[in-house]
Amino acid sequence: MKLALIFLATMGLLLNVGCTKKVDSSEKVLNLVVTAKIKGLDPIYADDRYSSNEVARVYEGLLEYHYLKRPYTLVPNLAESLPEVSADGFTYTFKIKQGVFFHDDQAFPGGKGRELTAEDFVYSIKRLADPKLQSTGWWLLDGKIKGLNEWRDSNVSKAAVDYSEAIEGLQAVDKYTLRFVLKKNFPQFLYSLAMTFTVAVPKEVVEFYGKEFLNHPVGTGPFILPIFEQSNKITYTKNPKFRTKLFPSDASDEYKKLGYLDDAGKTLPLVDKVVVTVLEEDQPRWLNFQKGNLDYIAIPKDNFASALTPSRTLSDDLAKKGIQLMIEPSLDVTYTAFNHENPLFKNIKLRRAMSLAYDVNKSNELFYNGTALPAQSVIPPGIAGYRHDYLSPWRGLNLEKAKQQLTEAGYPNGKGLPEITYDCPSSTVSRQMGEHFKSQMEQIGVRIKVVQNPWPDLQKKINNKTVQTYGIAWGADYPDAENFLQLLYGPNKTPGANGSNYDNPVFNEMFAKAAIMQDSPERTALYEKLNLMASDEVPWIYGVHRQSYVLHHSWLKNYIPTDFESGQAQYLNVDLAMKKAVSAKL
Amino acid sequence: MNIYVYAFRRILYVIPVLLGVCLIIFVLFNLVSPDPTLMMLGKHANLKQMQELRHELGLDRSYFIQYLDIVKSAFTFDFGRSWSTKQEIIEMIKNGAGPSLTVTVPAFLVALIISLIVALFVAFYRGSWFDRIAVLICVALMSIPSLAYILFAQKILAYDLGLFEISGYEQGFPNFIPYVALPCIIWIVLSIGPDVRFYRTVILDEVYMDYVRTARAKGLSETVILFKHVLKNAMIPIITWVVIAIPFLILGALLLESFFGIPGLGGITLNAINSADFPVVRAMTVLSAVAYIVFSVITDVLYTLVDPRVRLK
Repeated sequence: MKLALIFLATMGLLLNVGCTKKVDSSEKVLNLVVTAKIKGLDPIYADDRYSSNEVARVYEGLLEYHYLKRPYTLVPNLAESLPEVSADGFTYTFKIKQGVFFHDDQAFPGGKGRELTAEDFVYSIKRLADPKLQSTGWWLLDGKIKGLNEWRDSNVSKAAVDYSEAIEGLQAVDKYTLRFVLKKNFPQFLYSLAMTFTVAVPKEVVEFYGKEFLNHPVGTGPFILPIFEQSNKITYTKNPKFRTKLFPSDASDEYKKLGYLDDAGKTLPLVDKVVVTVLEEDQPRWLNFQKGNLDYIAIPKDNFASALTPSRTLSDDLAKKGIQLMIEPSLDVTYTAFNHENPLFKNIKLRRAMSLAYDVNKSNELFYNGTALPAQSVIPPGIAGYRHDYLSPWRGLNLEKAKQQLTEAGYPNGKGLPEITYDCPSSTVSRQMGEHFKSQMEQIGVRIKVVQNPWPDLQKKINNKTVQTYGIAWGADYPDAENFLQLLYGPNKTPGANGSNYDNPVFNEMFAKAAIMQDSPERTALYEKLNLMASDEVPWIYGVHRQSYVLHHSWLKNYIPTDFESGQAQYLNVDLAMKKAVSAKL
Repeated sequence: MNIYVYAFRRILYVIPVLLGVCLIIFVLFNLVSPDPTLMMLGKHANLKQMQELRHELGLDRSYFIQYLDIVKSAFTFDFGRSWSTKQEIIEMIKNGAGPSLTVTVPAFLVALIISLIVALFVAFYRGSWFDRIAVLICVALMSIPSLAYILFAQKILAYDLGLFEISGYEQGFPNFIPYVALPCIIWIVLSIGPDVRFYRTVILDEVYMDYVRTARAKGLSETVILFKHVLKNAMIPIITWVVIAIPFLILGALLLESFFGIPGLGGITLNAINSADFPVVRAMTVLSAVAYIVFSVITDVLYTLVDPRVRLK
C-alpha cells in the first residue's frame, strides 16, 4: 500500500509539474543555440567556433569586422584607429582606447575592474606563446613576431615561464601605445588581431584563478559571465560598465535596403541578456525554434523539405508565423585532394578526367539539399579574387570529355589504372560521400576504394603522405584569399597546410608575391590569376562552397549570418512588443 | 563470517581489479587510440608543437612511468584535467552526475515498482489472456527503438500538446522537475518491457516449486503465496538485477540527455573516446570498475538478509 502511494505521488508530481510554463519578462533577452558543448572560456584554447563565439561575448580584441559591411572590413575595436604601418610593412603601432575597464572581479583590488592598458595585450599574446600552456591558437603568430618564437623556445625547459622578459617585436611603448614588429611582411597580420586568440586578458585574474581561469572570464566585453559552469545553458548579462560603443551608422547597400540602420547610433549592447543553450540534436533545436524559444536557427538538414519550397524559398507555413529566411555564402570550400607526391597524380589529364566525371550538382542535391554553390576553384564568393562569371572547363558532369581525357592520360576506359584509395573521416555522411565519389568514377572506369579513418588518423596519413586521394573541407580563418591559396603553395607541403603537396613553381612565385602585398587592385588581380591557375591545373576535384540557410523570428533585429560571429550578439536587438504578439500564435 | 569482515575482504579485490583495468586501458590507449596531440591541435598542428605537447602531457616518458602515473591517479582518484576541455575531471563528473541522477533515479525506482507489480499480477494470472496480452505488450515495447520513443514523445507530447518542456535543464530542486519529467517517462516505458519479462520469468520459476504446491494444499490464498512466499524467494535474482544496475545510473542515458539538453554524464565517455581524451576515459573506467565491485558486495550482503540460507564466505 505504501509503495503504491509513493508510486502514485511520484507519477502525479511528474505529470503535474511537467506541464510547460511560460515566463513573462520586460527584459530583452536573446535566445541563442549552439550545437556542441562549450569547453571553457579561456581565449587561448578557443580553437573551435563554439568556444570562440562565447569568448567574444566577454572579451574584446584590438580589431573587429565591421558588422554591416561586405566584403568583410576590419575596423578598430579596442584600438583607437587602424594602426600606423611602417613603410616596409614590418611595424604596426596601435593606440589603445582610453577609459576601457575590465569587468569587476574579486581578483582586482576592491573587486573593481581596472583600466585596460597596452601591457595587457603584451601579456595576452605572451600567454598565447607560452610553451607550458600549449595554446591551440599559437599557429596564428608562430614565426610572425620578432623575438616571440625565441622567447617561447627559451622557456620550454624552464620550470616557470618568465613573462617579465622583453620581446623585441611586442612592446607596450607607453600606457596606451602598443607596437608589433614582424619578422616578415605579413599583411594578413591584422586579421590575427580580430581573432579571439588575441583578445586582452588581465594578468591578475589569470594569476588569481590559476588553472580555473577558463571558468572565470573577465574581459572588457559588452556582456559579463562571472562563472562559467559546465552546463547546457549559459546566461550572460549586460555589462553595466561597458564603454560607449555605438551601433554602426553606415552599411553596405544590401543591409541598408533591409533597414539595418534603424538602430544606428544606439548604445551597445542592445539587449539585456544573452542565453545560450547547447542542443546537439536537430529535432529539439527545430522544435524549440518553432515554439519561439530560440531566436534563430540554421535549418537542420532533415527539415529543409518542410522549411523551404522546392524553389528554395520560405514555406508558407513559416512565412505566416513571421519567420524570415536569410541565405549567406560561407567562406569555405569542400574538395577531393590528390596527393601530388604520388606519381600517378602528376598526370594532369588523369586529374582532369576525374574532375569531369564528378557530378557536383548531384552531390549538392544529395548532401546539401541543393543549397551549396558548386566550386569552380579554390577561392569562395565574398573574398577578393573570386570571379562570379567564371566557369571552370574541367568541372563535371561531362562524361564524354572525361573519357577523352582519360584516354589521353594513357588509361582508356580505366585500363591499366590501378585502384585508387579515397580516404575520408569516419562519419556516416563522409562515408556516403565516399561511396558517391566511387560511383561517379566508375562511370569512366576508374576504380576507387573508400577507406574511413578517425580524424586524427586521417590527419596522420595526410602528414605522412600515405594517402592517394582524400575528401576534406577548408573554412576561412580570415577573409583573405591568401588563407585559401596557401593550401596550394609548394613550400607549405605536409606537414604544412598544403596537404595535397601540390607544387607548381609558377604558382609559388605568384603566390609569394601576392602574399606580401597589402590589399589593392593589383593584389586582387594576382589572386584572380592564381585562382584561374588553380582551376585549370585541377590540383583538387572541387566540391562546393556551402551556404548558410538561417531562419529567424520577426522580433529579432539586425541579424546577419556570418562566418565571423564573434561579437555579433551586441548588435542584435529584440522587439519585445512584436515578440509578445507573435509568440502567442506559435 | 561477519558481514563487515566479508565486505572488507571483497572490497580489497578492488586493488588487483584496478591494476588490471589500468593496464588494459593503458595498452588499448597506446595501441588503438588516435594521437591526442593531433586531436588537440587541430588542423594547424605542426610536428614541433605536437612534440612539445607530447612533452607537456607526459607522453614522451617511458611506458612504465606512464603506467605508474595511471595507477597512482586511479588509487588517489586524482584524475587531473581533461586534455580536450582543460576542466578538472572530478568537477566534470560531479557537475554531470547530478543531472544524470535526477533523470535515472526516479525513473529507475518507478520502473522497478511498476515492473514488479505488473510481473506479480501476470504471474498471478499466468496462462490467461491477461498474461498473454501483457507479454505481447512487453515484447512490443522492447521492439520499438529508444530513439523512436524520444522523437515521438518530444514532438507530440512536448511540442504539439505542450504537456512537457521540449528540452533544457535547471539546477536545483524543484526547478529541474519540468525538464526531467518526459525523459523519466520515456526511461520508464523503455524499462518496463524487459523488466516485466525478467521478473515474470523469475517469479514463475518459483511458482512451480514444490513448496508453493504445499502452501496451496495447506489452504493459503494465492495472494499470500505470491506476495509472502514466492516474492521473497525470487528476490535473489531480482536483487542481482536491480543492484548491479544502480552504479550505472550515474552514467545517465546518452540519447535522452542529448535530445533533451540535459547536462549529464551520458555523453562524457563517448565524447572522450572520440576526442582521444585519455584522462577522462581513464577516470570513467576506473570509477565504473570501483562502483561495480562495491555494489556487487552490497548485492552479496543483501542476499543474506533476504535468504538466511545464504552464508558469506
